[in-house]
Amino acid sequence: MSFLNKLGIGVGAGAGAGARRDAPITMGGSARPRSNTPAPVAAVGAARAPELRESNRVSNGLKEFLWNLDGLGRGTLLDLGPAWQTTLSFFIERGFRVSSEDLLRAWKDFLVEEEGKLREATGRAAQHTLDVTPAARAARFLEANLQYPNSSFDAVLLWDVLDYLEPVVCKQMVANLTELLRPGGVVFAMFHSKKPAGFQRYRVVDSTTLQVISSPVLCPAQRVYQNREIQDLFGRYRTMKSFVGRDQLRESLFIK
Amino acid sequence: MWKKEDVKSQGLPENGPGISTGSPAIGSVPRPPSTSVPVSAGASACISQGIRIKGEVTGTEDLFIDGHLEGKVNLSSGSLTVGPNGEVKADIFAREVIVRGRVDGRIVGREMIQLWSTGNVAGDLQTERLTIEDGAVLRGRVEIETGKPIDKHTEARAAVAGTGKGGVVSVSSGSAAV
Repeated sequence: MSFLNKLGIGVGAGAGAGARRDAPITMGGSARPRSNTPAPVAAVGAARAPELRESNRVSNGLKEFLWNLDGLGRGTLLDLGPAWQTTLSFFIERGFRVSSEDLLRAWKDFLVEEEGKLREATGRAAQHTLDVTPAARAARFLEANLQYPNSSFDAVLLWDVLDYLEPVVCKQMVANLTELLRPGGVVFAMFHSKKPAGFQRYRVVDSTTLQVISSPVLCPAQRVYQNREIQDLFGRYRTMKSFVGRDQLRESLFIK
Repeated sequence: MWKKEDVKSQGLPENGPGISTGSPAIGSVPRPPSTSVPVSAGASACISQGIRIKGEVTGTEDLFIDGHLEGKVNLSSGSLTVGPNGEVKADIFAREVIVRGRVDGRIVGREMIQLWSTGNVAGDLQTERLTIEDGAVLRGRVEIETGKPIDKHTEARAAVAGTGKGGVVSVSSGSAAV
Protein backbone atom coordinates (compact mmCIF):
# COMPACT_ATOMS: atom_id res chain seq x y z
CA MET A 1 0.00 0.00 0.00
CA SER A 2 1.39 3.40 -0.91
CA PHE A 3 1.91 6.18 1.55
CA LEU A 4 -0.88 8.20 0.01
CA ASN A 5 -3.25 5.30 0.38
CA LYS A 6 -2.31 4.97 4.03
CA LEU A 7 -3.24 8.61 4.43
CA GLY A 8 -6.51 7.91 2.72
CA ILE A 9 -5.88 10.26 -0.20
CA GLY A 10 -4.53 7.78 -2.67
CA VAL A 11 -6.24 6.38 -5.70
CA GLY A 12 -9.43 4.56 -4.90
CA ALA A 13 -9.94 6.15 -1.51
CA GLY A 14 -12.67 8.52 -2.55
CA ALA A 15 -16.22 8.89 -1.41
CA GLY A 16 -17.62 6.67 -4.11
CA ALA A 17 -15.73 3.66 -2.87
CA GLY A 18 -17.51 0.52 -1.97
CA ALA A 19 -18.99 -0.71 -5.21
CA ARG A 20 -17.32 -4.05 -5.78
CA ARG A 21 -16.47 -5.29 -9.23
CA ASP A 22 -16.88 -8.84 -10.40
CA ALA A 23 -13.27 -9.63 -11.08
CA PRO A 24 -10.38 -8.88 -8.78
CA ILE A 25 -7.31 -6.87 -9.57
CA THR A 26 -3.81 -8.31 -9.68
CA MET A 27 -1.41 -6.04 -7.92
CA GLY A 28 2.25 -5.70 -8.82
CA GLY A 29 3.28 -5.77 -5.17
CA SER A 30 1.44 -8.92 -4.24
CA ALA A 31 3.00 -12.34 -4.09
CA ARG A 32 0.67 -13.55 -6.81
CA PRO A 33 2.27 -13.90 -10.25
CA ARG A 34 1.05 -11.43 -12.81
CA SER A 35 -1.48 -12.95 -15.09
CA ASN A 36 -4.00 -11.81 -17.66
CA THR A 37 -6.68 -14.04 -16.26
CA PRO A 38 -8.40 -12.79 -13.16
CA ALA A 39 -7.36 -14.72 -10.10
CA PRO A 40 -9.22 -15.08 -6.85
CA VAL A 41 -8.41 -12.45 -4.26
CA ALA A 42 -5.93 -13.54 -1.63
CA ALA A 43 -7.15 -12.12 1.64
CA VAL A 44 -4.24 -12.97 3.86
CA GLY A 45 -1.94 -10.56 5.69
CA ALA A 46 0.27 -8.22 3.74
CA ALA A 47 -0.46 -9.96 0.44
CA ARG A 48 -4.12 -9.05 0.67
CA ALA A 49 -5.35 -7.53 -2.54
CA PRO A 50 -6.97 -4.16 -2.08
CA GLU A 51 -10.71 -3.92 -2.27
CA LEU A 52 -11.85 -3.25 -5.79
CA ARG A 53 -13.70 -0.03 -5.97
CA GLU A 54 -14.73 3.04 -7.79
CA SER A 55 -13.83 6.53 -6.73
CA ASN A 56 -14.33 9.99 -8.09
CA ARG A 57 -11.60 12.47 -8.83
CA VAL A 58 -11.82 16.08 -9.86
CA SER A 59 -10.39 16.46 -13.33
CA ASN A 60 -9.08 19.83 -14.38
CA GLY A 61 -7.86 18.23 -17.58
CA LEU A 62 -11.37 17.20 -18.53
CA LYS A 63 -12.68 20.66 -17.70
CA GLU A 64 -10.07 22.23 -19.97
CA PHE A 65 -10.72 19.61 -22.65
CA LEU A 66 -14.42 20.51 -22.69
CA TRP A 67 -13.63 24.19 -22.65
CA ASN A 68 -11.55 23.69 -25.79
CA LEU A 69 -14.41 21.87 -27.47
CA ASP A 70 -17.01 24.40 -26.42
CA GLY A 71 -18.93 25.84 -29.33
CA LEU A 72 -17.78 23.15 -31.70
CA GLY A 73 -21.35 22.08 -32.39
CA ARG A 74 -21.68 18.59 -33.81
CA GLY A 75 -18.13 17.44 -33.26
CA THR A 76 -16.61 14.00 -33.57
CA LEU A 77 -14.94 12.26 -30.69
CA LEU A 78 -12.83 9.12 -30.53
CA ASP A 79 -12.91 7.39 -27.16
CA LEU A 80 -10.06 4.92 -26.78
CA GLY A 81 -11.27 3.57 -23.45
CA PRO A 82 -14.02 1.05 -22.77
CA ALA A 83 -17.52 1.89 -23.95
CA TRP A 84 -19.06 3.26 -20.77
CA GLN A 85 -22.65 4.34 -20.88
CA THR A 86 -21.98 7.49 -18.85
CA THR A 87 -19.08 8.67 -20.99
CA LEU A 88 -20.88 8.07 -24.25
CA SER A 89 -24.07 9.73 -23.01
CA PHE A 90 -22.15 12.69 -21.71
CA PHE A 91 -20.69 13.47 -25.11
CA ILE A 92 -23.67 12.39 -27.20
CA GLU A 93 -25.93 14.68 -25.21
CA ARG A 94 -23.55 17.49 -26.06
CA GLY A 95 -24.01 16.79 -29.73
CA PHE A 96 -20.88 14.75 -30.39
CA ARG A 97 -20.73 11.79 -32.70
CA VAL A 98 -18.73 9.31 -30.74
CA SER A 99 -16.56 6.44 -31.94
CA SER A 100 -15.44 3.96 -29.37
CA GLU A 101 -12.49 1.61 -29.51
CA ASP A 102 -11.07 -0.01 -26.41
CA LEU A 103 -7.44 0.09 -27.44
CA LEU A 104 -6.01 -1.76 -24.45
CA ARG A 105 -8.43 -4.62 -24.90
CA ALA A 106 -7.50 -4.69 -28.57
CA TRP A 107 -3.82 -4.73 -27.60
CA LYS A 108 -4.37 -7.62 -25.24
CA ASP A 109 -6.31 -9.57 -27.86
CA PHE A 110 -3.60 -8.79 -30.39
CA LEU A 111 -0.88 -10.12 -28.08
CA VAL A 112 -2.81 -13.33 -27.49
CA GLU A 113 -3.29 -13.73 -31.22
CA GLU A 114 0.39 -13.06 -31.88
CA GLU A 115 1.37 -15.67 -29.33
CA GLY A 116 -0.82 -18.18 -31.09
CA LYS A 117 0.66 -17.32 -34.46
CA LEU A 118 4.16 -17.61 -33.06
CA ARG A 119 3.42 -21.00 -31.56
CA GLU A 120 1.98 -22.11 -34.86
CA ALA A 121 5.01 -20.86 -36.76
CA THR A 122 7.36 -22.57 -34.30
CA GLY A 123 5.43 -25.78 -34.72
CA ARG A 124 5.98 -25.60 -38.43
CA ALA A 125 9.65 -24.71 -37.88
CA ALA A 126 9.16 -21.57 -39.90
CA GLN A 127 9.88 -18.83 -37.41
CA HIS A 128 11.24 -16.61 -40.12
CA THR A 129 7.76 -16.11 -41.53
CA LEU A 130 6.69 -13.99 -38.53
CA ASP A 131 8.67 -10.83 -37.85
CA VAL A 132 8.60 -10.47 -34.07
CA THR A 133 10.54 -7.22 -33.77
CA PRO A 134 8.68 -4.52 -31.83
CA ALA A 135 8.47 -2.33 -34.91
CA ALA A 136 6.90 -5.08 -37.01
CA ARG A 137 4.51 -5.91 -34.21
CA ALA A 138 3.52 -2.27 -33.87
CA ALA A 139 2.87 -2.07 -37.59
CA ARG A 140 0.69 -5.20 -37.48
CA PHE A 141 -1.28 -3.89 -34.50
CA LEU A 142 -1.94 -0.53 -36.09
CA GLU A 143 -2.91 -2.10 -39.38
CA ALA A 144 -5.82 -3.72 -37.58
CA ASN A 145 -6.72 -0.83 -35.29
CA LEU A 146 -7.37 2.91 -35.46
CA GLN A 147 -8.47 2.62 -39.04
CA TYR A 148 -10.29 5.86 -39.69
CA PRO A 149 -10.01 8.46 -42.45
CA ASN A 150 -7.55 11.27 -41.87
CA SER A 151 -8.83 14.41 -40.14
CA SER A 152 -12.00 12.67 -39.02
CA PHE A 153 -11.99 13.64 -35.33
CA ASP A 154 -12.16 16.85 -33.36
CA ALA A 155 -11.22 15.23 -30.08
CA VAL A 156 -9.62 12.08 -28.74
CA LEU A 157 -9.93 10.60 -25.27
CA LEU A 158 -6.67 8.71 -24.95
CA TRP A 159 -6.86 8.16 -21.17
CA ASP A 160 -3.72 6.41 -19.82
CA VAL A 161 -3.43 4.00 -22.74
CA LEU A 162 0.14 5.01 -23.60
CA ASP A 163 1.49 3.81 -20.25
CA TYR A 164 0.44 0.26 -21.14
CA LEU A 165 1.62 -0.02 -24.72
CA GLU A 166 5.08 -0.87 -25.93
CA PRO A 167 7.06 2.33 -26.59
CA VAL A 168 7.35 1.58 -30.31
CA VAL A 169 3.59 1.13 -30.57
CA CYS A 170 3.07 4.36 -28.62
CA LYS A 171 5.21 6.38 -30.96
CA GLN A 172 3.54 5.01 -34.05
CA MET A 173 0.09 5.31 -32.53
CA VAL A 174 0.51 8.95 -31.56
CA ALA A 175 1.68 9.65 -35.11
CA ASN A 176 -1.45 7.94 -36.45
CA LEU A 177 -3.69 9.82 -34.02
CA THR A 178 -2.20 13.08 -35.19
CA GLU A 179 -3.30 12.22 -38.71
CA LEU A 180 -6.80 11.36 -37.53
CA LEU A 181 -7.24 14.70 -35.78
CA ARG A 182 -8.40 17.80 -37.56
CA PRO A 183 -6.27 20.93 -37.17
CA GLY A 184 -7.22 22.42 -33.81
CA GLY A 185 -8.28 19.01 -32.53
CA VAL A 186 -7.66 18.10 -28.90
CA VAL A 187 -6.25 14.98 -27.26
CA PHE A 188 -6.88 14.26 -23.59
CA ALA A 189 -4.30 11.88 -22.17
CA MET A 190 -3.21 10.75 -18.74
CA PHE A 191 0.20 9.59 -17.57
CA HIS A 192 1.16 7.93 -14.33
CA SER A 193 3.98 9.62 -12.44
CA LYS A 194 4.88 6.27 -10.92
CA LYS A 195 4.40 2.81 -12.29
CA PRO A 196 0.75 2.11 -11.46
CA ALA A 197 0.17 -0.53 -8.82
CA GLY A 198 -3.14 -1.63 -10.27
CA PHE A 199 -5.15 -1.24 -13.41
CA GLN A 200 -7.79 1.40 -13.72
CA ARG A 201 -10.33 2.54 -16.23
CA TYR A 202 -11.96 5.94 -16.28
CA ARG A 203 -15.36 7.29 -17.11
CA VAL A 204 -16.84 10.73 -17.23
CA VAL A 205 -19.27 11.56 -14.44
CA ASP A 206 -19.74 15.23 -15.21
CA SER A 207 -17.79 18.07 -16.76
CA THR A 208 -15.26 18.20 -13.94
CA THR A 209 -15.34 14.70 -12.48
CA LEU A 210 -13.96 11.37 -13.57
CA GLN A 211 -14.77 8.05 -12.02
CA VAL A 212 -11.74 5.84 -11.47
CA ILE A 213 -12.62 2.16 -11.64
CA SER A 214 -10.30 -0.59 -10.50
CA SER A 215 -10.38 -3.33 -13.10
CA PRO A 216 -8.73 -6.67 -13.77
CA VAL A 217 -5.33 -6.15 -15.35
CA LEU A 218 -5.59 -6.24 -19.12
CA CYS A 219 -1.90 -5.64 -19.73
CA PRO A 220 0.96 -4.60 -17.46
CA ALA A 221 2.25 -1.03 -17.42
CA GLN A 222 5.22 -0.67 -19.72
CA ARG A 223 6.90 2.51 -18.62
CA VAL A 224 6.58 5.85 -16.89
CA TYR A 225 6.96 8.76 -19.26
CA GLN A 226 8.89 11.83 -18.21
CA ASN A 227 7.75 15.28 -19.32
CA ARG A 228 10.47 15.52 -21.97
CA GLU A 229 9.45 12.17 -23.46
CA ILE A 230 5.81 13.23 -23.56
CA GLN A 231 6.75 16.43 -25.32
CA ASP A 232 8.74 14.44 -27.85
CA LEU A 233 5.86 12.04 -28.44
CA PHE A 234 3.47 14.92 -29.11
CA GLY A 235 6.04 17.12 -30.84
CA ARG A 236 3.72 17.86 -33.76
CA TYR A 237 1.10 19.45 -31.52
CA ARG A 238 1.14 23.18 -31.05
CA THR A 239 0.03 23.32 -27.43
CA MET A 240 0.50 21.08 -24.45
CA LYS A 241 -0.99 21.67 -21.02
CA SER A 242 -0.60 19.41 -17.98
CA PHE A 243 -2.33 19.07 -14.65
CA VAL A 244 -0.65 17.09 -11.92
CA GLY A 245 -2.89 15.33 -9.46
CA ARG A 246 -2.20 14.12 -5.95
CA ASP A 247 -2.91 10.57 -7.07
CA GLN A 248 0.23 10.31 -9.24
CA LEU A 249 -1.72 11.01 -12.40
CA ARG A 250 -0.80 13.74 -14.83
CA GLU A 251 -3.59 14.88 -17.11
CA SER A 252 -2.42 16.39 -20.37
CA LEU A 253 -4.09 18.20 -23.21
CA PHE A 254 -2.56 18.41 -26.64
CA ILE A 255 -3.94 20.71 -29.29
CA LYS A 256 -3.01 20.08 -32.91
CA MET B 1 -43.52 -39.18 -20.97
CA TRP B 2 -39.85 -39.92 -21.50
CA LYS B 3 -39.65 -37.89 -24.67
CA LYS B 4 -41.16 -34.82 -23.04
CA GLU B 5 -38.55 -34.87 -20.31
CA ASP B 6 -35.77 -35.27 -22.88
CA VAL B 7 -36.88 -32.17 -24.74
CA LYS B 8 -37.06 -30.15 -21.54
CA SER B 9 -33.63 -31.22 -20.39
CA GLN B 10 -32.05 -29.86 -23.58
CA GLY B 11 -33.15 -26.37 -22.67
CA LEU B 12 -34.53 -25.67 -26.11
CA PRO B 13 -37.25 -23.13 -26.77
CA GLU B 14 -40.79 -24.30 -26.33
CA ASN B 15 -41.65 -23.88 -29.98
CA GLY B 16 -39.02 -26.32 -31.11
CA PRO B 17 -35.33 -26.59 -31.83
CA GLY B 18 -33.50 -24.97 -34.69
CA ILE B 19 -35.25 -22.37 -36.75
CA SER B 20 -38.89 -22.10 -36.00
CA THR B 21 -41.51 -19.48 -36.50
CA GLY B 22 -44.98 -18.86 -35.21
CA SER B 23 -46.83 -16.55 -32.94
CA PRO B 24 -45.68 -16.26 -29.36
CA ALA B 25 -47.49 -18.28 -26.78
CA ILE B 26 -49.97 -15.84 -25.31
CA GLY B 27 -50.34 -16.07 -21.58
CA SER B 28 -47.51 -18.51 -21.19
CA VAL B 29 -45.34 -18.17 -18.12
CA PRO B 30 -41.84 -16.89 -18.93
CA ARG B 31 -39.28 -19.67 -18.55
CA PRO B 32 -36.55 -19.29 -15.97
CA PRO B 33 -33.18 -18.59 -17.59
CA SER B 34 -31.41 -21.77 -18.60
CA THR B 35 -27.68 -22.03 -18.12
CA SER B 36 -27.11 -23.98 -21.31
CA VAL B 37 -29.24 -22.23 -23.90
CA PRO B 38 -30.80 -19.03 -22.64
CA VAL B 39 -33.77 -18.10 -24.73
CA SER B 40 -35.46 -14.78 -25.06
CA ALA B 41 -38.95 -15.23 -23.67
CA GLY B 42 -40.53 -12.86 -26.14
CA ALA B 43 -38.82 -14.13 -29.28
CA SER B 44 -41.09 -16.06 -31.58
CA ALA B 45 -38.34 -17.37 -33.83
CA CYS B 46 -35.07 -18.81 -32.71
CA ILE B 47 -31.78 -19.85 -34.22
CA SER B 48 -30.40 -22.07 -31.54
CA GLN B 49 -26.85 -22.74 -30.52
CA GLY B 50 -25.15 -25.06 -32.98
CA ILE B 51 -27.11 -23.82 -35.98
CA ARG B 52 -25.18 -22.03 -38.73
CA ILE B 53 -26.86 -19.88 -41.33
CA LYS B 54 -25.34 -18.07 -44.27
CA GLY B 55 -27.55 -15.66 -46.13
CA GLU B 56 -30.20 -13.06 -45.57
CA VAL B 57 -32.82 -13.29 -42.85
CA THR B 58 -35.85 -11.10 -43.40
CA GLY B 59 -39.07 -10.88 -41.46
CA THR B 60 -41.34 -8.91 -39.20
CA GLU B 61 -41.34 -11.24 -36.19
CA ASP B 62 -38.97 -11.12 -33.26
CA LEU B 63 -35.89 -13.28 -33.58
CA PHE B 64 -33.46 -14.79 -31.12
CA ILE B 65 -30.07 -15.90 -32.39
CA ASP B 66 -27.87 -18.08 -30.24
CA GLY B 67 -26.10 -19.73 -33.14
CA HIS B 68 -23.97 -18.45 -36.03
CA LEU B 69 -25.32 -16.21 -38.72
CA GLU B 70 -23.43 -14.67 -41.59
CA GLY B 71 -25.05 -12.36 -44.11
CA LYS B 72 -27.75 -9.84 -43.38
CA VAL B 73 -30.63 -9.49 -40.92
CA ASN B 74 -33.60 -7.31 -41.71
CA LEU B 75 -36.46 -7.31 -39.23
CA SER B 76 -38.33 -4.18 -40.15
CA SER B 77 -40.65 -4.16 -37.18
CA GLY B 78 -39.24 -6.95 -35.10
CA SER B 79 -36.77 -7.21 -32.32
CA LEU B 80 -33.52 -9.13 -32.58
CA THR B 81 -31.75 -10.64 -29.61
CA VAL B 82 -28.29 -12.06 -30.05
CA GLY B 83 -27.87 -14.56 -27.25
CA PRO B 84 -24.71 -15.08 -25.20
CA ASN B 85 -23.57 -17.85 -27.54
CA GLY B 86 -24.65 -16.05 -30.66
CA GLU B 87 -22.17 -14.92 -33.30
CA VAL B 88 -23.53 -12.71 -36.02
CA LYS B 89 -21.45 -11.46 -38.90
CA ALA B 90 -24.00 -9.30 -40.56
CA ASP B 91 -25.47 -5.87 -40.90
CA ILE B 92 -28.57 -5.78 -38.75
CA PHE B 93 -31.67 -3.69 -39.30
CA ALA B 94 -34.41 -4.07 -36.71
CA ARG B 95 -36.74 -2.13 -34.48
CA GLU B 96 -34.89 -3.22 -31.37
CA VAL B 97 -31.58 -5.00 -31.03
CA ILE B 98 -30.30 -6.63 -27.88
CA VAL B 99 -26.73 -7.91 -27.96
CA ARG B 100 -25.55 -10.46 -25.42
CA GLY B 101 -23.16 -12.23 -27.75
CA ARG B 102 -20.90 -11.17 -30.60
CA VAL B 103 -21.85 -9.03 -33.57
CA ASP B 104 -19.53 -8.09 -36.37
CA GLY B 105 -21.35 -5.59 -38.53
CA ARG B 106 -23.40 -2.44 -38.54
CA ILE B 107 -26.44 -2.36 -36.29
CA VAL B 108 -29.41 -0.15 -36.94
CA GLY B 109 -31.89 -0.50 -34.11
CA ARG B 110 -34.57 1.98 -35.06
CA GLU B 111 -35.93 2.41 -31.56
CA MET B 112 -33.32 0.94 -29.29
CA ILE B 113 -30.04 -0.94 -28.99
CA GLN B 114 -28.94 -2.64 -25.80
CA LEU B 115 -25.47 -4.02 -25.23
CA TRP B 116 -25.34 -6.38 -22.29
CA SER B 117 -22.19 -6.98 -20.30
CA THR B 118 -21.36 -10.04 -22.38
CA GLY B 119 -22.02 -8.20 -25.64
CA ASN B 120 -19.21 -7.56 -28.08
CA VAL B 121 -19.87 -5.40 -31.13
CA ALA B 122 -17.47 -4.50 -33.89
CA GLY B 123 -19.42 -2.13 -36.07
CA ASP B 124 -21.30 1.14 -36.09
CA LEU B 125 -24.47 1.61 -34.08
CA GLN B 126 -27.37 3.73 -35.19
CA THR B 127 -30.41 4.14 -32.99
CA GLU B 128 -32.63 6.49 -31.04
CA ARG B 129 -31.80 5.01 -27.65
CA LEU B 130 -28.68 3.18 -26.61
CA THR B 131 -28.02 1.31 -23.41
CA ILE B 132 -24.62 -0.12 -22.61
CA GLU B 133 -24.02 -2.33 -19.63
CA ASP B 134 -20.63 -2.23 -17.91
CA GLY B 135 -18.34 -4.79 -19.46
CA ALA B 136 -19.79 -4.60 -22.95
CA VAL B 137 -17.23 -4.18 -25.70
CA LEU B 138 -17.88 -1.77 -28.53
CA ARG B 139 -15.65 -0.95 -31.41
CA GLY B 140 -17.40 1.44 -33.70
CA ARG B 141 -19.22 4.67 -34.12
CA VAL B 142 -22.36 5.55 -32.23
CA GLU B 143 -25.00 7.59 -33.96
CA ILE B 144 -27.99 8.67 -31.96
CA GLU B 145 -30.69 9.92 -34.25
CA THR B 146 -32.06 13.12 -32.88
CA GLY B 147 -32.86 15.15 -35.94
CA LYS B 148 -33.91 12.59 -38.48
CA PRO B 149 -36.54 13.56 -41.02
CA ILE B 150 -39.95 12.47 -39.77
CA ASP B 151 -42.31 10.42 -41.83
CA LYS B 152 -46.08 10.74 -41.70
CA HIS B 153 -46.42 8.04 -39.04
CA THR B 154 -43.98 9.75 -36.72
CA GLU B 155 -45.55 13.11 -37.39
CA ALA B 156 -48.99 11.78 -36.50
CA ARG B 157 -47.71 10.15 -33.32
CA ALA B 158 -45.89 13.34 -32.34
CA ALA B 159 -49.05 15.36 -32.87
CA VAL B 160 -51.04 12.99 -30.68
CA ALA B 161 -48.41 12.95 -27.98
CA GLY B 162 -47.91 16.67 -28.24
CA THR B 163 -44.20 16.35 -28.73
CA GLY B 164 -41.89 17.97 -31.20
CA LYS B 165 -39.80 16.18 -33.75
CA GLY B 166 -36.63 14.35 -32.95
CA GLY B 167 -35.85 11.19 -31.11
CA VAL B 168 -34.83 10.71 -27.55
CA VAL B 169 -31.16 10.90 -26.71
CA SER B 170 -31.44 8.37 -24.05
CA VAL B 171 -28.67 6.84 -22.72
CA SER B 172 -29.89 6.13 -19.33
CA SER B 173 -27.33 5.29 -16.76
CA GLY B 174 -27.14 1.94 -15.08
CA SER B 175 -27.42 -1.54 -16.36
CA ALA B 176 -29.28 -2.79 -19.34
CA ALA B 177 -31.39 -5.33 -17.58
CA VAL B 178 -34.80 -5.72 -19.14
